[in-house]
Amino acid sequence: MSEMADEPGHPEGDPGVPPRDRDVIRRARIDESCRGPVMFFILTAVVWLLVGTVLAIVASVKMHSPEFLANLEPLTFGRVRPAHLNTVIYGWSSLAGIGVLLWLQARLCRAPLRFHRLLYGVGVLWNLAVAAGTIALLTTHFNSVEWLEFPVWTAATLGVGFLGVMVVSLDVFRRRTKHHIFVSQWYLFGAVFWFPILYVLANMMIHLGMASGIAQATANWWFAHNVLGIWFTPIGLAAAYYFIPKVLGRPIHSYYLSLLGFWTLALFYNWAGTHHLIGGPLPVWLTTVGTVASMMMFIPVVTVAINHHMTMVGHFQKLKYSPTLRFIVFGAMSYTLVSVQGSLMALRTVNETTHFTHYTVAHAHLGMYAFFTMAMFGSIYYLVPRLLGREWPSATLIRVHFWCTATGIFLYFSGLSWGGWRQGEMMNHDTVDFQAIVDYLIPFLWSRSFAGILMTVGHVAFAILLWKMWRGKEPTGEPALFPAKGAPKREEDSLHDRPPESKREESS
Amino acid sequence: MNLIYLLIWGTWVIFGISVIWALSWAVSRGHMTNVEQSGQSIFDDEEPIGEMTDYFPGEGPDGYLNAQEGTDE
Amino acid sequence: MNRTAVLLAGVLLTVASSFVGLVVIPDWQLDPLAPVQAPDGTMQPQKPTGSVAEGRAIYSELGCIYCHSQQVRPREFGADQARGWGDRQTHPVDHIYDAPPLLGTMRTGPDLANIGARQPSRSWHHLHLFDPETTSPGSIMPPYRFLYDPVSRDGAGPPETALDLPGEFDDPDYWWVPTDRAEALVDYLLSLDHSYPIDDEL
Repeated sequence: MSEMADEPGHPEGDPGVPPRDRDVIRRARIDESCRGPVMFFILTAVVWLLVGTVLAIVASVKMHSPEFLANLEPLTFGRVRPAHLNTVIYGWSSLAGIGVLLWLQARLCRAPLRFHRLLYGVGVLWNLAVAAGTIALLTTHFNSVEWLEFPVWTAATLGVGFLGVMVVSLDVFRRRTKHHIFVSQWYLFGAVFWFPILYVLANMMIHLGMASGIAQATANWWFAHNVLGIWFTPIGLAAAYYFIPKVLGRPIHSYYLSLLGFWTLALFYNWAGTHHLIGGPLPVWLTTVGTVASMMMFIPVVTVAINHHMTMVGHFQKLKYSPTLRFIVFGAMSYTLVSVQGSLMALRTVNETTHFTHYTVAHAHLGMYAFFTMAMFGSIYYLVPRLLGREWPSATLIRVHFWCTATGIFLYFSGLSWGGWRQGEMMNHDTVDFQAIVDYLIPFLWSRSFAGILMTVGHVAFAILLWKMWRGKEPTGEPALFPAKGAPKREEDSLHDRPPESKREESS
Repeated sequence: MNLIYLLIWGTWVIFGISVIWALSWAVSRGHMTNVEQSGQSIFDDEEPIGEMTDYFPGEGPDGYLNAQEGTDE
Repeated sequence: MNRTAVLLAGVLLTVASSFVGLVVIPDWQLDPLAPVQAPDGTMQPQKPTGSVAEGRAIYSELGCIYCHSQQVRPREFGADQARGWGDRQTHPVDHIYDAPPLLGTMRTGPDLANIGARQPSRSWHHLHLFDPETTSPGSIMPPYRFLYDPVSRDGAGPPETALDLPGEFDDPDYWWVPTDRAEALVDYLLSLDHSYPIDDEL
């Protein structure tokens, strides 16, 4: 496929086609090569987002109203909570992440995606595994190892399935026609190796018992911290590094900083996981290593923050016009906040208060939701119109989605952070009765449920948009700037009878 | 116990050396020249620097695109 | 191509080094740990067997760890010991038979590292599991009524193991009898006692 450009008569090699149109056609072909599989990943991801949201609301309500759905064992809090975590992590976040990763890698490599059947196979397998794993969490025995609750056979299926993603993304990387490797590609390249290594090794160490006792706990947090740091974060950052400059039409502020950021992230994030066990039963050097590495994380975080901020500076008014930019910039800012916060929480003095409290829960959602999920929303708003060749049906619904999720997560974060911090302070004073802490927290737990409902409204708006997009028969107009509308000079023909429109029927 | 500290520090030293080696390798192979230009690789003739590539559906900056919409069909 | 090779090497080395540092070395360091002799002559901790092991599995599958930790922090770090959750910091030895370790990361409820020593009453645990409000007014712990079987009150008196629910919680129609799972879970909770001394420093 890489020799496509050399085919006689192919627009990219055809001297008769002006360069501007060649770019449009090249991009349209690559988008077309992604359409089926990437849409499959995105659509199924959103189904899991909805399932995970329902589980989240149930778990949240149970925390302040324990009699809610109390008599059914599958819906007991201790089962619903891990089911929520695993559906949003392995269902929504990973599937959406894979979709965005594949599309970004293909676009940046300037090569079409191949092996569609393999990708569909992976998609089906992954969905079945998450479904089976979730049902297992609700109904049968599972080992409560945070982030790794899925039974071994589910984990094995996910691991094997991921090999397909690896094959396809490395294949497109190998066939890249653009020699230069953009910084987003570094992150994506790293992520496809890091995830399976982490996931398979952690499962082997814990569920197959290859490590003993407390070493299983360090394996647990080595995984649970790294899955954020070197699986979700690289995808989120790759999206931010591509979409912020791309939507603005401004090159990234400092490319040098972005490379420094990549390597320091790879080096330090890996070692930070044991700060989750500060004060716990393990050799002091282990948690100290985690604290030191967490401090070093300031380097990549600050480089990313400077870079994204300086790229945006003077252009913040553009957030008004672009849904993608809005979500992505919200995500990028949350990334800075969550990373700085995370580093501080690794300090023993801070950790003494925040450990074992809702403060940590708020922090986790700042990372997985305000950063990663919002970055995925933004990416999806950019790529779906290009994949399907039609524009989003409603600007109002997009705004509903943004404002509900943005205010929702803000409320979620601020409520639980405040309540969680006080919880930790009170817990560290043995004169405060434990029940007094429980009573104090209840209003904050209600605020979380309320925030969750706001986020749910946003998710439903998003699902409706995607559903309309997917089912829409007629193109509702050209996707924003699909042929650059900002450039009035060049018009139709070369693009309009090209693939995105003509082949839509058969693939859907 | 001492062996553990040796291992940890040893790992870091080996790591440091390989990082320095990789950096000098990159510099010697010219990977560090023209770094900043690399940031422009995501733009092309069709989507050049200076043009936004995403808007709310049916909307554009300053209502310019709204005016265009009508004439498209 | 060379550039890709360096990238790949960096990607693999960074994750491999942390795996060795944070998983393999600790495993190797902690693997030789063995039970210690307690003042009463027994070897501690004891490997969970029989109903204690079953109870541990139930503790795991009901997700108790999402609200209860099983680790006591050092004396001057937090108020774990001042609250009476334990007299010493939890030691890796305490967890040699605890795989995967049920350390927990959340304290919506109190720490349970020594709950067997702190609350040795079997009936208290049953009442508390059946409906936490019976023993701890204002608790937000979920009730685990599904671990108890209702037995109709028609005819004979209460079965031997029936819960003795206090006044307002008494069910006029049924006696509530612990299932095997409830008994096993309580066996496990009662087994949680790490009060034996350990001299070794962390």
